[in-house]
Amino acid sequence: MSVERTLEAELGGQAPDGLAALSEQERRAFASVLHDAKARQSQELESAIEQSLDVVPRLLRGTIRRMLFG
Amino acid sequence: MTAGLSVDVEILKLARQVGCRPQALDYLEQLDPQDIRDLREQVTGVLFDADRQMLQRVAAATKLLPSKLTATIGESMFSPLLCARVTGLLDPHRAVDIAARLSTSFLADVAPYLDPRRASRVIAELPAEQVAEIAEELVRREQYITMGDVVGHLSKAATLAALAAIDDEALLRTAYVVESKGSLGSLVALIPAKRLTAIIRTASEADLWPEALDVIGHVSEHQRGELADIAAAQDDELLEGLVRVALDDGLWPVLLPVTRAMSPASRERFVGLPSVQTEKVLAAIVDAAAQEALWADLLVFLPLLPVAARRLVAVIAADLKAEYAAIIDAAHEEELWPALIAFAAELDETTQRRIAELIAASDQAILAGLLAAVEAEELEREALTVFARLSATKQARFAKRIVALASIAALTALAMAAEAAGLDTLHDAFKPGPGRRKSATKASS
Repeated sequence: MSVERTLEAELGGQAPDGLAALSEQERRAFASVLHDAKARQSQELESAIEQSLDVVPRLLRGTIRRMLFG
Repeated sequence: MTAGLSVDVEILKLARQVGCRPQALDYLEQLDPQDIRDLREQVTGVLFDADRQMLQRVAAATKLLPSKLTATIGESMFSPLLCARVTGLLDPHRAVDIAARLSTSFLADVAPYLDPRRASRVIAELPAEQVAEIAEELVRREQYITMGDVVGHLSKAATLAALAAIDDEALLRTAYVVESKGSLGSLVALIPAKRLTAIIRTASEADLWPEALDVIGHVSEHQRGELADIAAAQDDELLEGLVRVALDDGLWPVLLPVTRAMSPASRERFVGLPSVQTEKVLAAIVDAAAQEALWADLLVFLPLLPVAARRLVAVIAADLKAEYAAIIDAAHEEELWPALIAFAAELDETTQRRIAELIAASDQAILAGLLAAVEAEELEREALTVFARLSATKQARFAKRIVALASIAALTALAMAAEAAGLDTLHDAFKPGPGRRKSATKASS
């Protein structure tokens, strides 16, 4: 995939025009930083939710699990 | 005025959003700060959207739990970043209730990750006392950017409490990095004059003039004048320090407009400082005017300089050929003809000729403005010194245009000045005679 496409996919739209001043390698590096940030956030969120369920009162745990995971 | 955006600050904020060290984004230094800000806003949106569904479910689930338990879960299981993400999705009252049960330390951990626009209502409802405590903790951590992000989102009571909780140095450092510079005016309006004076002194003592000048540059014209006057009322040592820093750090593009905002008495005192009149500083001032097209500010500044310093500026300004048209426009638009004429009269012959040619070729409105100023301020002698540099043909053409515009009284004054200066061509052209049309347009009426 071209670097423009990769960056657009990570940013969910066209990058600010100023980024054209960056080299291809730099734009790819930023796309990768953003990709990692998203992955880390999702992983962190999942893990925090799992841990939280352990401390939720048993009575509510099922309801909350259904709210979170359908 | 400078934009106030800094590449370093923008990179730091972006690095925080994507969870990396700012150094890992060094390659962004080549970009305009506004581009980095646009990129950060896009990134913030993407990161919020990436897990929006799940974050919304988490926010909904908290409604089933008591605030105390939610706070415990938040502080022990969720990272500050995730808490910040969820905050904007909570009902503000509920979020404030949960925040009341979180430690100040944890709230200070969460604060850097908040997107104030998404959590604005929550931030606005935080109690003043709690905001003051968080502000104190953030100052202890030197998290000025985080504090700067929420300025403009806090309630007035909370802003006052935070102002009271932090010292002048922290306040200056925070104000410098405020995300929405437009809110600086409201912030400054909450600070009493006595504290503003202390802040100006702190700027000098803690080497924070760049920060202070940036703030002064972003408040209202009235506040700029007030702050500039407070600065100008300080002792010479402090002002000499300001002049030195402005020279060393290239801050004259910011400082020159500040001098214009001063009261005439303050400006006179400031311009009278020996350090302002050195060749280096004057060159920096002229450079600043050229860089930022601050011609009106320069024209207000110039007449206050002593003759020797004005002559130095005249020598420096001789290199500004490309800018003369802009200087003439500024003199016209800002009604600063007297300053320009007086200054032009002190320039070398070649420069005078260039300026005279540009003015002579200007449109009627500019000539009318010039005439009105010359008549009102009785600057006929100075003006003719400059226009006498025109070639005979150009003098005749210029005089013809002036005659068509000027009142009889104005022409008489010009003719008398021309005669006194031995400028025969101009004297003959302006001299009211039997052939003079009585219906000449009265430029000065």
